[in-house]
Formats: sequence, structure tokens, C-alpha cells
Amino acid sequence: MNLRRKGWIALALALPAAVWAIEGIEAKIRFADVTQKAGVQVVHHTRHFKGPTADVLRMFTSGGSSAAVGDYDGDGFDDIFVTDSDSGKPNHLFHNNGNMTFTDVAVAAGVAKGNDPDKIVADALWFDYDNDGREDLLVARFGTPLLYHNEGNGKFKDVTATSGFTKFGNTIAAVAFDYDNDGLLDVMFGNYFKPVNLLDGKDPHVLPNDLDNAVNGGGVTLWHNTGNGHFVDVTEKAGFGKHTGWTLDIGHGDFNNDGYQDVYLACDYGTDRIYFNNGDGTFTEKTETATGFDTRKGMNADVADYDNDGWLDIYVTNITDEYMKECNMLWHNNHDGTFTDVSRETNTCETLWGWSAKFGDFDNDGWKDLFVVDGLRSAGKDNYIPVLVNLITQPGVDFTDARLWPNIGNMSWSGYQKKKMFRNLGGQAFKEISAEAGVDNDKDGRGIGMADFDNDGRLDLYQANADQMPYLYRGVTEGGGNWVQFKLTGTKSNRDAIGARITLKAGGLTQIHEIDGGNGYAGQSTKRAHLGIGKASKVDSVEVHWPSGLVESFDGVQIDKLNKLTEGGGHKQAPWKVAQK
Amino acid sequence: MSYRRNSLIPALLILLAGSVSADDPNAVYEKGAQAMVSKDYASAIPLLQQAVQADPDNLRDASELRQAVLRQTLAAHPKSEGATADFDKDIAFFDQLTKAHPASANAYLNFGFAYVDKIPAAGSITQVIQANNALTEFTKSIELKPTWIALYTRGNSYLYWPKIFGRAGLGVADLEKAYEIQKKEPKKSYHVRVYISLGDGYWKTEKPDKAIEIWKEGAAAFPDSQGLKDRLAKKGDDLDKYINDVLDPNKRVDTDLKELWRTQ
Repeated sequence: MNLRRKGWIALALALPAAVWAIEGIEAKIRFADVTQKAGVQVVHHTRHFKGPTADVLRMFTSGGSSAAVGDYDGDGFDDIFVTDSDSGKPNHLFHNNGNMTFTDVAVAAGVAKGNDPDKIVADALWFDYDNDGREDLLVARFGTPLLYHNEGNGKFKDVTATSGFTKFGNTIAAVAFDYDNDGLLDVMFGNYFKPVNLLDGKDPHVLPNDLDNAVNGGGVTLWHNTGNGHFVDVTEKAGFGKHTGWTLDIGHGDFNNDGYQDVYLACDYGTDRIYFNNGDGTFTEKTETATGFDTRKGMNADVADYDNDGWLDIYVTNITDEYMKECNMLWHNNHDGTFTDVSRETNTCETLWGWSAKFGDFDNDGWKDLFVVDGLRSAGKDNYIPVLVNLITQPGVDFTDARLWPNIGNMSWSGYQKKKMFRNLGGQAFKEISAEAGVDNDKDGRGIGMADFDNDGRLDLYQANADQMPYLYRGVTEGGGNWVQFKLTGTKSNRDAIGARITLKAGGLTQIHEIDGGNGYAGQSTKRAHLGIGKASKVDSVEVHWPSGLVESFDGVQIDKLNKLTEGGGHKQAPWKVAQK
Repeated sequence: MSYRRNSLIPALLILLAGSVSADDPNAVYEKGAQAMVSKDYASAIPLLQQAVQADPDNLRDASELRQAVLRQTLAAHPKSEGATADFDKDIAFFDQLTKAHPASANAYLNFGFAYVDKIPAAGSITQVIQANNALTEFTKSIELKPTWIALYTRGNSYLYWPKIFGRAGLGVADLEKAYEIQKKEPKKSYHVRVYISLGDGYWKTEKPDKAIEIWKEGAAAFPDSQGLKDRLAKKGDDLDKYINDVLDPNKRVDTDLKELWRTQ
């Protein structure tokens, strides 16, 4: 155990028990499966390939079942865009009818397409790239992405051709944030394979060159929004050009409280990377000092302050199964540019073959709980692992050659795995409550879209699965705490207020929450901030640090309500950067 | 300092080291061992390599060499299980050694141990590759000379593989052979290891009665063995968890063979 970890434990033990939960909220977290009733029971389909490597490539590209949450029509109810991946299969835009039922309007809205014969839909993202107050839609693909402008009448216009997004990438993750705080949302793509078209089958050497330290992946690309509906590739200039890992997810947030968005890259087959924003349009990689180099299979990066110490922490899923004991990583922020993995100490280490994970306060007690989906492939009773090990242990085998990988056929691989939900025990540890919470299904999970779809003050969960129907879980916890929701609107800052940080004081607890632009694997959750406040009957203070640098406090915040805060509408406070330092 | 002088000093050092080796391999080993004691691993490693090259079947010399490599890399990387590159150099040394001495059973045994030493420092899939490579070398050693240590080592290694790979049965077969060998020998302290591992193997192959029987037999012969006491004190899931924890491939296995010659 290193000194940092010792220090963290000592600090945690020193916390008075009274601080662990606001006024002793002990509600049992419960969810109800409303998938059928809600009308969202659409099956996802992974892409079928042709040729001798078809089976292997289908398996390697099975990650594109995603869900993006956003209120595209501004009616006050969050909607869901759900991806499919097989050729010709339509994506789905589930319009929220306001009564916990949804209607698929993708075709009418003009956003159903994207699974072309030579392109595979893999992720999606709502963001208002032109600050017109309407959520636009980005569809990430193995290929080139699609950008749809929200026309405001329930229709979308394909503006890809003029967007600048013409660079080919095998993109599996997309996030939007304003890296240079110029008021316009920029886009970062996480790319899994190197940029070759997998569907043409010309190059069989497309798989990882090393299963623990691969350096032949797609890396990331960063696109600067120039303000006229156009984006420019600034990957090299910003300092991301050297990253050639197999990026599966991107988590952004202000990790060092300097007012600029930093980036964590969760990478399969090797080292995750962390980049700190220099504040001048460039980033510096600090992996070695911040987290150290790992050899795990990073799948997810979600960002939240799970222990309410005022600094953002990061949760990464890896693979922990019978045959591979990697353990997840809960990177506790040490407040000095370094992080300590406390997943074992907090009981969040083992979630099998992990995919997406999201922090959310499901019982409104003021402490963010955690939902993790898992499972790769649930099929026949035969197991692929012993077959695969025969390949892996061949001396001198070229892992990159897809032709050498054995077909999986009807075999299972880390299948039928129970999903994991953890209740936050006062920021010190988590307790697994999956079964009692009603979310321990065994589908092959991929993405999570979290929102309060019915506006009842309890967070709901959409779980996207590969080659299976999704789950829509309605939060039905009884006896939970009071809550506050915020819808932030930037004026000088980007209108979505992505990157804005709320600091809320209530019931003796101070919480922070940053609006994110798509953190978490294959999913985007609501841009509303949802904060539980336990038994507190009022909010003591609310401060917002906007990406523009403006810091404001807001009066009149109502509990158990959605509060709309607009940049410039509060009381100006001392600049936050100065206050923090 | 001139270029010539720079190149002269290493050459002199090599000559000096070579002169010790040529005269007395054991003296070289002793020098290396002394350097180990003073934690001067940079000096110890080349001396021990020299001793091993002179006497490749010497278990002691090769075991100490591996320990020197291990301690050096752990000292240099205290927050981790060492640098894989350091272990790779050791693996390369034993690869060359076995190529030069293909009839040396103990060289293969230590070659296998060199892979085992690297496992905790490696990524999860590289661990599988290293473990498999170790088994390959242990097998070569057994094919040349099926000694107690070789059979125990390979048998125990099989037990670290997750159940899904079905290798525990192979481990039991090796350990039963090692058990037969030790029954014919005078009692040695290290014999307790076979009682422990054979029982673990029976447990992993779902023969709990046989596991308990062999652990009890071991406890009668080695009543102070904490490992046997722990196993016999646990039952069911607790015992299963305990054994899985003991056989966790992420944990470093003690491959120091000192016990073998200290009890001779």
C-alpha cells in the first residue's frame, strides 16, 4: 500500500459518522422494469461482416449499442436516441410522451439512417453546437460521423457535409466540451481500431498488436468548433497526436479545479491516459504522475465527486472474471494532480466484464451511487475462453491478424453476467444492492442513459444491450431524500453549459456537480444536474462556475423542483480560479 | 577521461570477472552472494550469471540469480511488482542458457521460474502467456529428470490456472508423483508443500474428502504448518475463498529455492 492510499484511508476514517449521510436517509433503492410499457423494446443488432474474418470482426465490433439522452424538442422531458449497428438497421429516436411512454419518431425526424453498407453506427451525442437553444445530434460511426442540425420543428437536417467531419475513424465514443472556453462546444472522438475500413476486408491486420500494451489503435481526435457550423481537426496541435491506444471511452471534467476541462481516456488492451488542459488550447499528458501506467482493459470513464470533497473522481471499468482478475479503478482525486485507485477499499473493484458505469444519487441522500453494466456475449453453453487461450499461448503469434483468431460461433464469452448497483455509504465505501434494487438482469449491457424521464425527482436508467432488447428502469425508491434539479443555460458560455460546475450547500453537506457532454461508455445522460439533499428542507447556497469564468450565486432555489439558471442571472462572485487558488 | 580509457575499464572488469570464473565457479558465486547481502544487485547479477553459465544445473546459483534480478527490480520500482523489461532480460539469459545446455534439467526449471517471476508485473493476458511458457519449460525439465522439485513445481503451477481451463487435474497427477517420491525419502521440511498443494488440487478438482485426508496426513507429519492448520480450520465457501486467494495469479509466488539446500 502506498502512502497516498494510506493517507486516503486515514482521512476517510477520520470523517465523523454524522457526515456519512444527510440526516440518516435510509431508503431502499428500487427500480421497476418498465421497458415494455414504455414502448422502447427494440432489439439492437451487431454488424454482420463478410469473408473469413466475419465472425471475429463481428465480435470485436459489438460495442455499439448506445443511448443518448437529450430533450431535443424542449418540452421539459428528456428523450432518448438509441443506436443500432447492423447494415440498414434504423436508429431510434424515442420521444418522451411525458407519461413514461415513448414514441419512436426517428424516421419522421430524419435521424434513423446511418448504418450504411460501409459504415457502422456506434455512439451518439446530443449537443447544441450552434448555441441556438436546440439540441443537435451527432452520430458516431466506424466510418465518418453524421451531424444533424435540429431545425426546431421535430425535424433534423443532415449538415455533415459542411461540418468538417470528413475524417475516417473507427469511432466508438464521442464527447462534447468547450476545451478552450470560447463559448462553443468542441468534439472529441474516441477511436477503437486504427483508421481502416473493416468492412472492405482488405487488411486482416486490424486487431491489437498486444493484448496488454497495444499501440495500434485509433487514438482520439479533437475537433475545434469554429463557430459557423464547422469543426477543424486540432488533434496534433492540442497534444493528442501521439496517443495510438484503443480508446473505448472519454471522460472529461475539471480534474484540477483550474477552470479548464481535462480528459481521461479509457483504453482497451493497455494504458489509460490522462491529459490536463494547459488553458491555452493545448493539453499535457500526465499519465505517469497522475495515475501510473496500467495494462488493463479500460472500458468506461465516468466522472463525479463521489466523496463530496470538492474534487472530481473517475471510475473506470475493466475486466474481472474467473479467468482475468484486473479489478476496476476508482481514481480518488488527491487534489494535487494525482489519483489513487481505491476500488478495492470501496468495494467497487469487481463488476465482471464491465462496460458503462454511471454515478447518480438514486436515493437522494446527497451521495452519488453507482450503476455498472457488464457482460460480453451470452450464447451457448460452450465457453470461448479456453479456445482463445490456445491462440494466445502460441509462441510468436501475430495477434493483429484477424484470420488467426478462432471463430466464436455459438460460444459464450463472459456472458449472462448480473448487472451491478452500488449504494454510496457516505463517500467511504459502496455496498452492492443489485438484486434488491431490481437491476440485476443478465443481458449483455453496453451503454447507460440516465435521466429523470418522468420528472418525479428520482433518476431512471436506460440500459442499452448488444444484440438484445434494452431495459428501461424507472426509479421507484420510496422514502428517499429531497432533491434539487438544475437546468443551466449558458449565454457567454456554451448554451448547454457543459463544463459548468454547480456547488450546492444543503443539510451540512457541500456537493459539486459538473455538466458533462457524454461521459460514460456508449451513453449520454441528462444535462440536468440532479442532486439529492436528504432531509434538508432548504438549500443554503448555490454557486455556479460557468466555463466563461463567471462565478455566480443564485437565490430562490426551490427544493424538489427543477430550477432553471441562466448565466448572468445570478449574483456575481469573485472569480473562481482566484478563489480556488 | 578519454574514449580509450572509458572503454578500457569495462574490459578490465570483464577480464577480472572472467579470471575468477575460470579458476573457481563457486568463488564467483560466493562473490555474487556477498554482493546480494549488501544489496549491490548490479554487481551480484553478472557474477551470478557467470556462476550459472559455469554450472548450469546448479539450482542454488540459478535461484540466487533470479532472486537478485527480482530484488533489483523491486527496489527500483517500489510501487509496482517490478519492470517487465528487467524480467525479460532474465528470461533471455535462461533462454540462451538452455540453448547452450539442452541437457540441463535444472536450467529449464529455473527458466520456467524466470517466467513465473515476471507474472505479477505483467498485464492480465501476458500473465497467461508467461504462465504457459513456464509450464513448457517445467515440462522440458521433467522430461530430462522427473525430480521432486520439478514435479512439485509444475503440479503447483497448474493449480493457478482458473478452473475453466481444466488444468488442475494435470496438477494433481504431478503432485501425486512428487508425493510418491517424497514418501521414499527421508523427511524434509519442504515436503509439507506437497501435502498442501495436493490437497488444494483435490479441492479444485472437487474431491474435498481426498483434500482433507491429505491435509490431515500432512498435519500429522508437520503439525506446525500454518497453511495446513488454516485449511483444516475452514469449510465450504470460506475454504474455497481461501484457496482461490492463495492461488491468485496476481500475487507473487515465492520462487526462492533456498529451502531445498538449507535442509539437505
